[in-house]
Amino acid sequence: MEYTRRFTEKLSVEQMKIELLHTAYGNGHTFLAKLDPRTLFLWYAFFGIVPWFLHETRILLGMLGFMIVTTVIARVSPLIIFILCLGLLGQGGYLLVISLFFGGDFSAMLPLLKLTAKLSVISLASITVFCSMNPDKLSNGLLKIGVPGQVSFSIAYGYRMLPTLLEEYHHVFQSFRLRGKAPEKRGILYWRTIYYFIQIAMRSFYPLLLSTAKRARTTVEALETKGSKYGFNHTKVKELKLASLRMQGMDYGFLIGSAIYVASLFIIF
Amino acid sequence: MEPMIHVNDVTFQYPGAHHPVLQNVSLTVEKGEFLAILGGNGSGKSTLCKLFNGLIPNYYVGDITGEVKVNGLDTFTHSVASLSEHVGYVYQDFENQIVSPRVLEDASFAPLHYGYSDYQERAERALEFVGLEAYSHSFVWQLSGGQKHLLALASVLSLQPEVIVIDEPVAQLDPQHANDIYHILRKIHDQWEKTIIVIEHHTEFVAQYADQVVLLEDGQVSFKKPVTDALNQVGTLLKHQIYPPQVTQAAAQLGFDAPLPITLAEGESVFRPSLHTTFDDSSIEMPMNKEPLIQFQNVNFSYQTITRKKKQVLYDVHLQIYKGDYVALVGNNGAGKSSLMRLVTGLHKPGSGEVSVNGYNVEHTSPEHLAEMVTYIHQNPEQMFIDDSVEKDVGFYMRARKIENDQELVNRLLDQFELQDLADRDSRLLSGGQQRKTSLAIGVGMDPAIMLLDEPTANLDIATRKHITRLLDQLKEQLSSVIMATHDMQLATAFANRFIVMNQGEVIYDGDRAGLFQNPVLMQKAGLVPPQIYSLSHQLGWTSPVYTVEDFVAMYRKKEGADGVYA
Repeated sequence: MEYTRRFTEKLSVEQMKIELLHTAYGNGHTFLAKLDPRTLFLWYAFFGIVPWFLHETRILLGMLGFMIVTTVIARVSPLIIFILCLGLLGQGGYLLVISLFFGGDFSAMLPLLKLTAKLSVISLASITVFCSMNPDKLSNGLLKIGVPGQVSFSIAYGYRMLPTLLEEYHHVFQSFRLRGKAPEKRGILYWRTIYYFIQIAMRSFYPLLLSTAKRARTTVEALETKGSKYGFNHTKVKELKLASLRMQGMDYGFLIGSAIYVASLFIIF
Repeated sequence: MEPMIHVNDVTFQYPGAHHPVLQNVSLTVEKGEFLAILGGNGSGKSTLCKLFNGLIPNYYVGDITGEVKVNGLDTFTHSVASLSEHVGYVYQDFENQIVSPRVLEDASFAPLHYGYSDYQERAERALEFVGLEAYSHSFVWQLSGGQKHLLALASVLSLQPEVIVIDEPVAQLDPQHANDIYHILRKIHDQWEKTIIVIEHHTEFVAQYADQVVLLEDGQVSFKKPVTDALNQVGTLLKHQIYPPQVTQAAAQLGFDAPLPITLAEGESVFRPSLHTTFDDSSIEMPMNKEPLIQFQNVNFSYQTITRKKKQVLYDVHLQIYKGDYVALVGNNGAGKSSLMRLVTGLHKPGSGEVSVNGYNVEHTSPEHLAEMVTYIHQNPEQMFIDDSVEKDVGFYMRARKIENDQELVNRLLDQFELQDLADRDSRLLSGGQQRKTSLAIGVGMDPAIMLLDEPTANLDIATRKHITRLLDQLKEQLSSVIMATHDMQLATAFANRFIVMNQGEVIYDGDRAGLFQNPVLMQKAGLVPPQIYSLSHQLGWTSPVYTVEDFVAMYRKKEGADGVYA
């Protein structure tokens, strides 16, 4: 009971909010966070796609090693790493169980490991890149590579509203608790209690929809008065916004370094 | 010289509406005016203001006739964006007009999107002007409500518009922040010579800051007068359920000649100071039956902030609430009032110490169970609406508990709170006052012994406030005890028999109202402003305080008799 309580405290809506915002904004001081977003896009374009087409286990493992290093440099939050590991192990594990069930043996392990390594490289690359770009940087980067202003604004606005919406959700959820009635018997394995909470967690979404619509009315009017219609895709505005983006020595250094490492993997193996 | 705003015979009707919201409105606002717009709910105040920055008719398309000119520009042919450089608008729900995650980014949003290369400096200047420069790099969600309001204002100021429209600035703020925002508005008015237009219910602020007043009635301009003249129309204003300052009401009831005083300072010179008479202090008797319902024992409480630091909000709180206590919990925003009440609901658990309700320790009792004894009414009623009609929302608790004759109970509640006509409507689409009544009906329907009310009159116009105050008074019979967090001192003095003052997480006063109001240092520290009529009686040297206009008038007549002089 004590454990479940401690666990639910960790899982509170408040904690989720903190964790989310921290992942988004908390890593501004790392080396990778100082790079230009275009560098990161380019880097990701390689490490997010190329591993799919590689079959040489040693090269994959070499890349995996590199990814682990960048993940460490990016100071990714332990929670995310934990979720990722859970996912990868679960994936590999159930495939192994199925292959054993259909009469395979442990020789099935090797291709499975290869697949897991591939997935790990790609996942770690994604995590590295997205944890190193806060929403401002991501949206500026997108704007720079020609994505319309509305899209990059939506990202920033999404983050602006996220804590507010979570809080509102939390309030509605609490209202359900204060007015509802928790099951008196917990049921086998707490199933009644769990069912009760899942039910109110889902029902709490509905009131949110309408209140969001109501908020949006003022927001859209305000955007109109803030000149967004004119500004989102105007060249002058774009120039002003992106004036601070610059490819610097360390950007090139990072890209060249990565290229040399990958090339040497191919040459050695 | 051409007027700043010129509205000529405008009639406007929203699409699908049956009546025009504005009807033959003509109005001229000169450059440099500080104009207050008064009017009851639904009189068209916000609609009128949306004419000024062209949201009507460029954004809200409806049937419109007439002409509007702002700073020489015809609003019918200019875009909202180009008009916004001349007219800035701060909404009543200002939180939703903040669109960026960071403070500086939001303040520079408009000048950036207008293509000004000095957008950064403009934003910094505006933030400095409203006193937010220390928060430039903070996230919006780290700001308090008052600071968010200032940010919304700064984001508008960064474009340096000639006219600033601000919709009910006081509604969401505590008295201290309300004064702050008005000080800033006055500074903008005096230093930058801008035209300020406020929509405001609180005539005491109007008297203190505005120089011109417009009264709107059913979409028509009833009058535009200088502020003293306007607030002297006591009869007309009261007919529209607008309450002039208490000083003015008292002078009118005593039959003084015009011009009636409209500010405290004016009141002091009009009413004769008392010479010598003293009266008994008719303080309210404390309840005799000492049966603790709620106990706080050395309670500390803190929560984790976004920066993962702990923030302590309650320090060593020790309190007993007894049967028959109707408590006003007062103090600044952020003093810990809401946290204190939420601990009683069991939704939060204390960090150390013990909170118990009816003998149940909240730490070991589920919120669902505590809810059968204690009801918490949110400051924002919308957060309590979980079903799709008023009737279903009120009956939710009873249905969850399979209480018999629930329909009968629901009907009785709808009767009591005058909600029968709204039973099938979605609660979230009601007006502020109706929502508040619904939230009270929901609370009473849970048949609690104790009710916790968080700012029950926030965001309401004065007439609705009075209505809610009356409903709350009736509730005393149904409840053993009430704790009410509020900034509304008129409500607090009318309702409560015990005042608890909080400041920075500590209880700094616990006693009756006389003891509180007679301690100016304490009042100052807690950011409290007594009802104007109380201050007046105090300034006049009365030793027995009065809390309502009626008491003041009665006492003044008595004193005149005692002193043997007639004013």
